[in-house]
Amino acid sequence: MLKLMIKLALVFSFLSLNACSKVDSGDEPQKIKMWVAPNETQEMFWKAAVDKWNQSGKGLQVEFTTIPATGSSEQAVLTALVSENAPDISTNIFSGFAAQLVNLDQLTDLSSLTGFEELIEHRKMDRVMQGWRQDDKYYVLPLYSNPTLVWWRKDILADLGIDKLPETFDDIYEVSKRYGNKNDRFGMQIIAGNDWADRWFDFISYYYATSNGQPYIEDNRVTYNNAAGKEVLDFINTMFKNKWTSTDFDSEDPLVIGTAVGAVRGPWDIAYFSRMYPETLKNIAIGPMIRARKSDQKHYTFSDSKGLVIFNSSQVKEEAFDFVRWVLSDDTLNVLWLELTGLPPARGDLLDNPIFVDFYLHNPLAREYATYVDVAVPPAFIEHTIDVQKIMSVEMMEPIQHQLKNTQKALDDAQARTDKLLKWLK
Amino acid sequence: MKLFDRVTEAQVGAAIAIGFLLYNLVFWAYPFLWLAILSLSDWRFFGTPSYAGLDNLFFILQDPEFWNSMWNVARFLLLYIPIVLTCSLAFAFGLQFIGRGKAFIALCFLLANISSGVAYSLVFTKIYSSTGPLNSFLFEYFGFKIPWLTSPTFAMLAITLVVTWKFVGYYGLILYSGLLAIPKEIYDAATLDNASGFKRLFKITLPMLNAQIIMVLVFAITVGFGIFTEPFMMTGGGPLDSTNMPQIVMYETAFKRLEPSRAALMAIIIATASYLLIKLVRKIFEKNVEIV
Repeated sequence: MLKLMIKLALVFSFLSLNACSKVDSGDEPQKIKMWVAPNETQEMFWKAAVDKWNQSGKGLQVEFTTIPATGSSEQAVLTALVSENAPDISTNIFSGFAAQLVNLDQLTDLSSLTGFEELIEHRKMDRVMQGWRQDDKYYVLPLYSNPTLVWWRKDILADLGIDKLPETFDDIYEVSKRYGNKNDRFGMQIIAGNDWADRWFDFISYYYATSNGQPYIEDNRVTYNNAAGKEVLDFINTMFKNKWTSTDFDSEDPLVIGTAVGAVRGPWDIAYFSRMYPETLKNIAIGPMIRARKSDQKHYTFSDSKGLVIFNSSQVKEEAFDFVRWVLSDDTLNVLWLELTGLPPARGDLLDNPIFVDFYLHNPLAREYATYVDVAVPPAFIEHTIDVQKIMSVEMMEPIQHQLKNTQKALDDAQARTDKLLKWLK
Repeated sequence: MKLFDRVTEAQVGAAIAIGFLLYNLVFWAYPFLWLAILSLSDWRFFGTPSYAGLDNLFFILQDPEFWNSMWNVARFLLLYIPIVLTCSLAFAFGLQFIGRGKAFIALCFLLANISSGVAYSLVFTKIYSSTGPLNSFLFEYFGFKIPWLTSPTFAMLAITLVVTWKFVGYYGLILYSGLLAIPKEIYDAATLDNASGFKRLFKITLPMLNAQIIMVLVFAITVGFGIFTEPFMMTGGGPLDSTNMPQIVMYETAFKRLEPSRAALMAIIIATASYLLIKLVRKIFEKNVEIV
């Protein structure tokens, strides 16, 4: 009976979906269909790139649209895949979603396509690609890499008599002691927010910096319950215990109204501040991600990175990758991406390659971000990103904020719960 | 001739009903069938669902996040029902004493009900912030702040107050319609018997409003099980999962964890719990009030 019901429901589904889907006409020439991030500047870039490609006559024509407006890009992509209406290429894919799609056998291994290695070599992406490997395959090609760095109000630091940007936890304590009043003035915004995704911009960023880019999940097990993880949680604990930071800064941006001297920010905030708070931006200096101790090397940090995928359902995988390869290898287009979006392209030669010199000469804040692209580590390439980061919030960050646990217990609890869950879900 | 007329009548009836039946088949029966199938299947959006028996149930039974979210519904309702009922009654009573501009005032309260949940959630997030206007006022005049959205104790109350603000006008109007239906003569008789205002409230007004109060209670319970936007936007279900509601867990299970089968069973459990609670409330509180 159940089988009959399933069959009936499936027949009905396919009939409905086929009725809704666009039927390909045999007369139409084949095209590469592409979805790009629903973002004005990225849309401008892809329009220019697609026009240039289509005019060049080098391969199949490309047709692009932005990812349809739904709850999220992930939902739109998923709906399209399920209804067999997926494009050939989609941008704006983050690692957690990509890992899910890989497990569902929906993504093409890009390294199996012609010209992949040449592209990686051309863009000096060897180091950048390390965090995107799964079983020695590459399903996502990161387009941009946004390192998280710390913005400081240099005018406030100067008033406090501090002439060097804080780099270590001890430096933050010193700023907090001098500036904090336990009410509406704090040393630094330590917690990015209450969403699971906010852990990228606090714990994981600090952990990468302190551990020199060590993974926080490896072989489906927690690896952050170590000396570096403990130092990071001790730092967060000290900040809250002394009321040197606040649990939220939701009313206004703390850097604008001066409720905090420093806060973790991504490169997208440069454009946002220059539009909304140009006066504040004049007083911003960008420092490395904070870590437990001083280091002579560049501080590692987190990379908020999204990439491009080609779906298994595509009938024109090689042709689609030819287009991708051509766009990403074109120097003019690479510079155009930077000029339009301000987001550092995911490549290891941003400061060495002469094509970018002019841009970074005129954009010193953006240059700071480019400096850290090669030491910016993407999130763990795991399917259960949300669960892992929710547990970080519930077992570590929130109890520490409210002084409900000591730091070692918080780490132990988070590890035990995460390991159990990952084993269970495996 | 009579037979012909009857057949025609039946055909006309069928023609009229077919639209409704088709609508229900497509938008009710089909999704419901899918829900039932999914809850017993192993399916992750692609391929054909395979029969999974009670696997999803065993998984959900062991899922602390889901059961914590169900407990959060109870916590929400314990706060929400007394607050929203008191405020709605106050609104309904207040509306009785307003002469001109009654419709305008009612409309003002109803505006909250039709406002965008996302928009007002963002506004309230700023109002509740530790550096926001509410806490700045409290700190300036009373020397303390309330961690509205960051404390596990206060976060549910903060959300309850926002949801109350949203529904007080709607529920208030339902109660107001009940107040209008109470015959004035009953109050006149009570006055002649020297019944105090307090007594009139508890012996006449509230019993006579039983049908409307039950209606509001039923609506409030469905809100409790169905609430999503406010906690999702304002707290993300935190802190410490204290505002993590079943709809958030269900949404994340289906669309973030890509486990629609488990989410389907969660939906069935949530709907059943909601139905049982409504039955219980009606059994305990519903009275058959008749004006003889």
